[in-house]
Amino acid sequence: MKASVLRSSVLLAFAVAMMVVWVFPVAWGLVTSLKTERDVLAYPPTVVFDPTAANYQDVFSGSASIVPNLISSLIVSGLTTALTMLFAIPAAYALARLDLPWKRGAGFWVLATQMLPPVGLVIPYFLLLRGVGWTDTYQGLVLVYLTFALPFAIWLLVSYFEEIPREMEEAALLDRAGRLRALWHVVLPQAKGGIAVTVIFVFLNSWNEFLFAVVLGGNTVRTVTVAMFNFISLEQTQWARLAAAAMVGMAPVIALGLIAQKHIVKGLTVGAVKGGGRR
Amino acid sequence: MSAAAVSLAGIVKRHGAVTALAGIDLEVAPGEFFSLLGPSGSGKTTTLRILAGLEHADEGTVRLDGKDVTSLEPGARDVAMVFQSYALYPHMTVGENIAFPLRMSGVPRGEMESAVREAAARVRIDHLLERRPGQLSGGQQQRCALARAIVRKPALFLLDEPLSNLDAKLRVETRVELKRLQRALNVTAVYVTHDQEEALSLSDRLAVFMDGRVVQVGTPEEVFSRPATVDVAGFLGNPPMNLLPAWLEDGSALVEGTRLDLPSLRALGAREVTLGIRPSAVRIAAEGVPATVTMCEALGEDFFVDLSVGERLVRAKMNGRERPAERSQVRIQLEQGALHIFDRQTGLRL
Repeated sequence: MKASVLRSSVLLAFAVAMMVVWVFPVAWGLVTSLKTERDVLAYPPTVVFDPTAANYQDVFSGSASIVPNLISSLIVSGLTTALTMLFAIPAAYALARLDLPWKRGAGFWVLATQMLPPVGLVIPYFLLLRGVGWTDTYQGLVLVYLTFALPFAIWLLVSYFEEIPREMEEAALLDRAGRLRALWHVVLPQAKGGIAVTVIFVFLNSWNEFLFAVVLGGNTVRTVTVAMFNFISLEQTQWARLAAAAMVGMAPVIALGLIAQKHIVKGLTVGAVKGGGRR
Repeated sequence: MSAAAVSLAGIVKRHGAVTALAGIDLEVAPGEFFSLLGPSGSGKTTTLRILAGLEHADEGTVRLDGKDVTSLEPGARDVAMVFQSYALYPHMTVGENIAFPLRMSGVPRGEMESAVREAAARVRIDHLLERRPGQLSGGQQQRCALARAIVRKPALFLLDEPLSNLDAKLRVETRVELKRLQRALNVTAVYVTHDQEEALSLSDRLAVFMDGRVVQVGTPEEVFSRPATVDVAGFLGNPPMNLLPAWLEDGSALVEGTRLDLPSLRALGAREVTLGIRPSAVRIAAEGVPATVTMCEALGEDFFVDLSVGERLVRAKMNGRERPAERSQVRIQLEQGALHIFDRQTGLRL
């Protein structure tokens, strides 16, 4: 009894410590976003101040508005997600199901592309895109994001498809569905959870991406992460506006996370168990 | 007679270096209940899957109703299948599951609904149409799978061990019902099982599979009473047939050092054979082969006696009151008319 009390209080303390580490930056960002630049720079930092919505007004309208950047991010992330799913679902299904002679090798290479450090690819991608005149274009950035999102999505989806009993599809084939309709009516509805998880991960990864967006984007395609970065300049750093922009940029991420929490937790465990051998 | 409902000719299937099917030839007549019986790994399920089109044979042809379907996709053959796991679609209701084959065939909605009701009523699950498969008992799931298979009135009905996931009592009940259903629909059925009791009770005819070959085809009576090989003899029957090596010469057999007079076998000459005898044809008598009783096992009216004859175990099925004491020395007689003689080398019936 005593031991279990001790145990749970240790666990609680640990949980609180973790919460503080994770929650503090977000909470501090929220507080900062409601301060004036003056209060932000006050030393020692103060928690007693007159909250202002001015930073939010600034990031939603006027010269510092990040609304166009939010739209840019939405286009890039939306397109990346849609195209990724369009290609990843059939690819993952094929890898999970068909007895293709080069299946193992293909599975490995799909994953191998994830092993390269992204920073090593920035320059080559920049040169390639410049070569075809696609720097600072949506198609350019989306194409580059696809090279990361597709392998990841395929790898994640394969484990979901493999969990669906083969016999179920065979039954559908005998019921005259044919491959495509068997996929649509029988396989996909059962992989719904996995597809939701993949959509969310792919969307969040491209939404939060910064390195490629800053190098391969420009004035036309400037995502929200890059816009935030622009609040930091040589002359001054607009901490309060940056914080407000961060809060706004985070909102879709948090919303998606809350909606999909159930799926994500389940998705992570699937990856953990099945991925043990796969990784 | 019209063309065979099912005809397999020279079917060979290899999985890498392993030959799963080494030349299967089978014919199933229209309306027949035909079982593929054999131990696991003997190729019966592979044969069924080739019939369904879920796997393709490396050699040979598959004909359904005289039509060559060897290279046709599963959906293009007029075939329905009940899987061992039932393979119900978990995200659909029972009604949607049953309707699925009709939906995929483009049957109009009104027609579909009445067909679903009829199929469900036949297997007595018409009150469960709104449920999901996960909310059904094993027996109900099995019925749902059956209804999905019969709803579109296929020419051929394939069943892959459909009863193996049911408990013993339900299995016997469902067995009877399955047979009745097949008769009522007058549909050709090919049934895979490793359970000889199922195969013997259900089938009009059956094929015994061993190591990727069909070793015998016949009615249950034929296969049971005249097993074609020593392997079939050892596989069928519960407990299976006793098999004793013997030396045959001049109308007598030398079994574990004892000579038995078998004048009817004089024509076979001198050769090494395996004598097969069902437990029910072994009797304890005043004369005969000496044996030691090792165990006595009561089964209601009957009892089984395990006897050791030399180094061999012989089981006898008896009934009556005089039960031999364990470890007692007895003599046994083998009913002459019930003896099965197999060539020792080839294993073939003589």
